[in-house]
Amino acid sequence: MSGRRKKTKQVETEMKVKITWKEIKRQKVLLFWSAIIVIYGFIFYYLPLGGWIMAFQNYKPAKGLLHSEFIGFDKFIQLFSDETFIRVIRNTLAMGVINLVVTFVMAILFAILLNEIRQRRTKKVIQTISYLPHFLSWIIVTGILHDALSGTGVVNELLKNLHLTKHSVDFFAHPSYFWPIVAFANVWKETGWNAIIYLSAITAIDPSLYEAASIDGAGRLAKIMHVTLPGIKSTIIILLLMNVGNVLNAGFEIQYLLGNGLVKSVSETIDIYVLKWGISQGDYALGTAAGIFKSVVSIALIVVANQVAKRSGEERLY
Amino acid sequence: MESTENKKRHRKKSSKADIAFTVFNSIFMILFVIITLYPVLNTLAISLNDGTDALRGGIHLFPRKFTWKNYTTVLEKNNLITGAVITVARTVLGTLTALLANAILAFIVSRPRFMFRKQLSLFWVITMYVNGGLIPTFILFKGLGLTNSFWVYIIPGMLSAFNMLVIRTYMNGLPDSLVESAQLDGAGYTTIFIKIISPLCKPVYATVALFVAVGQWNSWFDAMLYNRMSGEYTTLQYELMKLLSSVTSTQGASAETMKNATGAVTPASVRAAATIITMLPIICIYPFLQKYFVTGLTLGGVKE
Amino acid sequence: MRRKHIKTLMLTALMAATLVTGCGGGDSSGGGDGKKTSSGGDDGKGIKEFTAFFAVPGSEINDDNEIQQIIAEKTGVKVKETWLTGQTAEEAVGTIIAGGEYPDFIEGGSGNPQLLDAGALVALDDYIDKYPNIKEFFTEQEWDSIRQEDGHIYWIPQFSNIYGEEKACEHNDEAFWIQTRVLKWADYPEIKTMDQYFDLIEKYYEANPKMEDGTENIPYTILCEDWRYFCLENAPQFLDGYPNDGSCIVDPETVKVIDYNTTDTAVRYFKKLNEEYHKGIVDRESFTQTYDEYIAKLSSGRVLGMIDQWWDFAYTAGDAIKSAGLDKQGCSYVPLPITIDEGIKNQWHNSGGVINAGSGLAITTSCDDVEGALQFINDLLDQEIHDLRFWGVKDTDYQVNDKGEYSRTDEMRTRCAETAYKASHMCTYSYFPQWSGTSRDGINAMSPSGQASEFYDGLKDDVKECFDAYGAKTYVEMLGTSEAPGPWYPMWSYSNNFTTNTDGGMAWTKIGEVKHEYLPKVVMAKDFEKGWDEYMEAYKKCKPEDFLAELQTELDRRVTEAAKYK
Repeated sequence: MSGRRKKTKQVETEMKVKITWKEIKRQKVLLFWSAIIVIYGFIFYYLPLGGWIMAFQNYKPAKGLLHSEFIGFDKFIQLFSDETFIRVIRNTLAMGVINLVVTFVMAILFAILLNEIRQRRTKKVIQTISYLPHFLSWIIVTGILHDALSGTGVVNELLKNLHLTKHSVDFFAHPSYFWPIVAFANVWKETGWNAIIYLSAITAIDPSLYEAASIDGAGRLAKIMHVTLPGIKSTIIILLLMNVGNVLNAGFEIQYLLGNGLVKSVSETIDIYVLKWGISQGDYALGTAAGIFKSVVSIALIVVANQVAKRSGEERLY
Repeated sequence: MESTENKKRHRKKSSKADIAFTVFNSIFMILFVIITLYPVLNTLAISLNDGTDALRGGIHLFPRKFTWKNYTTVLEKNNLITGAVITVARTVLGTLTALLANAILAFIVSRPRFMFRKQLSLFWVITMYVNGGLIPTFILFKGLGLTNSFWVYIIPGMLSAFNMLVIRTYMNGLPDSLVESAQLDGAGYTTIFIKIISPLCKPVYATVALFVAVGQWNSWFDAMLYNRMSGEYTTLQYELMKLLSSVTSTQGASAETMKNATGAVTPASVRAAATIITMLPIICIYPFLQKYFVTGLTLGGVKE
Repeated sequence: MRRKHIKTLMLTALMAATLVTGCGGGDSSGGGDGKKTSSGGDDGKGIKEFTAFFAVPGSEINDDNEIQQIIAEKTGVKVKETWLTGQTAEEAVGTIIAGGEYPDFIEGGSGNPQLLDAGALVALDDYIDKYPNIKEFFTEQEWDSIRQEDGHIYWIPQFSNIYGEEKACEHNDEAFWIQTRVLKWADYPEIKTMDQYFDLIEKYYEANPKMEDGTENIPYTILCEDWRYFCLENAPQFLDGYPNDGSCIVDPETVKVIDYNTTDTAVRYFKKLNEEYHKGIVDRESFTQTYDEYIAKLSSGRVLGMIDQWWDFAYTAGDAIKSAGLDKQGCSYVPLPITIDEGIKNQWHNSGGVINAGSGLAITTSCDDVEGALQFINDLLDQEIHDLRFWGVKDTDYQVNDKGEYSRTDEMRTRCAETAYKASHMCTYSYFPQWSGTSRDGINAMSPSGQASEFYDGLKDDVKECFDAYGAKTYVEMLGTSEAPGPWYPMWSYSNNFTTNTDGGMAWTKIGEVKHEYLPKVVMAKDFEKGWDEYMEAYKKCKPEDFLAELQTELDRRVTEAAKYK
């Protein structure tokens, strides 16, 4: 633990390296590779952003980006004056945040608890099983979920047997159940997969720390709290920061597959909106405008989150 | 390593709290395994069930009307061999290049003295949240000669901010003392990267390799988009998707198109068989990567 | 190192240039990957290979497909077909245009106008006269109806074109369906109105709440998942005795567009559903079920009745009922000629072909052998090849008796329905122009589904018994047929290509959204009047008048156009 603390301090002091010829010469290998990487990044990630111009055009594939008619901010105005779009932002944000919190907590919890299993074979087997749902498509997972939650499904049978309810609960007919169902589906499919990263981070924890804690008389819970969790803290924070920028990417497939007319008001996300009003109508401008909006919000969130992390002296994205 | 664990086992005192914890943990894990295993077994059961019969639903853990037919249907699919060869090639080559590239980038931005570490990180972080869109990217790739080519699977996705950050975080957590002493011995950055940092990063390399490999293995959209008309660069997943598309592409469908597409509907049981076939190789390779990040305490020997 | 940099920089500049100039030049853009995939390629045996892309879902056939090979030997041409995967038609067409590289044949579906805009399609009118089978495919009037604004023909609609006498046995369209056991139980009564239909279901359900094996019956279910919600929403047009114009009804006397969503019949229909819902006749899971769940319910034989399109359930649930032997309990479905009141002539089934002018098969500018491509379309319409496409190989897939009649044995019928066999053996070139109706031999149908004897042999006993009771031989005869109502029919060939670019298209999309959300609420509402009023309020906000106005304009155009041929 002491090593880690020292590390952070070091990072801060050494950030302020002055750019001198000597330094450049020293770091020439790093600079050379950085240059290549920047060029690569520019070509593959930044150059296509020229396409953002489409948001301000009545883009026609036949005319290309140069010759399509310019329409200014029309599409942005159209988006933000549509109350459906505002509602869709709300849904996306809500599901994004719920999913983020729930999947995050579950993955960490699962990784830590799995790490506490001492039998190596059991551990490996459980881990292998846990990530398998990641490979199932959403259509399969939502199919099974629909089955389980239907009027005659296992969940309603259970509720009736426990006398918690008299009639079957129609889970998909009530808007209030929709977000929790989506969150559950995400946890179900991705927990084991998301945990892999934490499991690998746990391997980096110095075993002597556990030994020291044992000598101090710490129980298993105490060791989790004081050794394991701090040991993977930087990984947790980095992933949290990255995912904060992704809250607007709450997805589309799962909502599309689980939603229906009755829960439309809570199930539609930005991506579904774009598909419906943009892509499937050949309206490239609308889709691009929504994409720009998402990017701007994401980057703003990242900057804020990164600043918070910096203030509290934590690991950060940049 | 084995001995460290043995020692721990001996020293462990079973307090009441610890026992309670173990019980809780066991129950949690059993529930978890049941819940996560069910969809997989269910898929397996459906894949082994007669397609028409499966439409009636109600299949849980065991097939009702057993048949291998769904598997033969999938395996008799056109171009499956070509697709498999390309998929293996892209998975192997793509994983190696991506791992190397991300490791180099992560190494650079994790050097405390590097003068542009913040700027370079930011440059990549932004790429996670911006996207030029399908058509501009397509035009770019076409301009670069990446359409109708194998390299579209390898080059564009080689570096990713996510993988880079995962490796960087791990590298940042490594003790500095080793690097410092090597530097005192006159080792350059290249030597430090190859000889000192990389051997310690095996668990995170294994993790990232797994992510990239699974991504490569599963991806089909690029094959569809950029190599639609070049059969020789088709991938396994694209071929399987073609088999399944008729059921999944409900978006944008209309009564008029579906009316003429009758007979193009693939049964859910074939879909299940294709899923199982895709999963198998990954399940087989997994244990080889898993040992790096499940056994734990691999850094046991490193002391500051 | 410096050289590398310069090279990369140049590359970057080149890239930037291509990006902004779009793709107008087609193959002229850099990269040099101009690997024109086998347009008119030759595989050494003198067989030319063309490529085709269809922006619709479809299933691919194997490369070594047997019938494809036979056709290739006879015509010297083989077409490699690719179908839509994981994208919308618009999106797929958009990227293809951006790339500027086209397959030889293309069917863009709703993306066809985009292709036309991009100048990607070859005008076919100058060529058509040279190919007798293509020429014969449409009448002059029909050819003119598919001309685009510039007066040229760019695509050939492939479907619903009838040669000679029409031979329809299946009703491949929408209807109120009912299980034969319900009709049999009531001794095959005449069911003509919606009220009679629901009465019968109610009475049967009261007397037989369960199936033979004890599973509970579901009296009536409604599928309303995504675009399949037509099972809920479009009945009012049929109930009033109009055919499926898709987006509206057209009064044949005044030639005016009528909105079927707001008619009295619509109110009565939804009110009826509302009542039945509260009586427990309409399945409570109707509005939340997925298509898979719906098919599972139908397949188990529990559902007594529903509205649906034949193709939406017959090849899935219909087959499952057969394979489980549930037809022995009378679980097969037959259609009923239902209207809102007695005395209205129903138009559930229309005879005659319907040309969907909005889409069709086109040849692109990338095709370097337009004449070869057209020759191939011409050959495909040849009777011999046409039989190969739809009947298969003689004595393998069908047999011919002394009178020249085609038929299939049970074994052949089963095999031809198998996915694997279809991929390795059958090759229908399903999105190339094709005939229905009677074969040029005057005896057989163009495809097995139209062959009356073949059709009747394939029927299950419960359906045969039911048909006999009503004096019908086919599904179509259960409903009766009517001619297409007028030259405007069907309006959906216009409304399908609506986009949000026009006010009408915008309204149309919004109406769809509102109906999707409110119709289930209307049916479930405790107070129907209140539910309906809320729905109407939301409905009016969509400005349906814009949409109707655009339809009216198109209707008028079609009528004027048709008047020229009188």
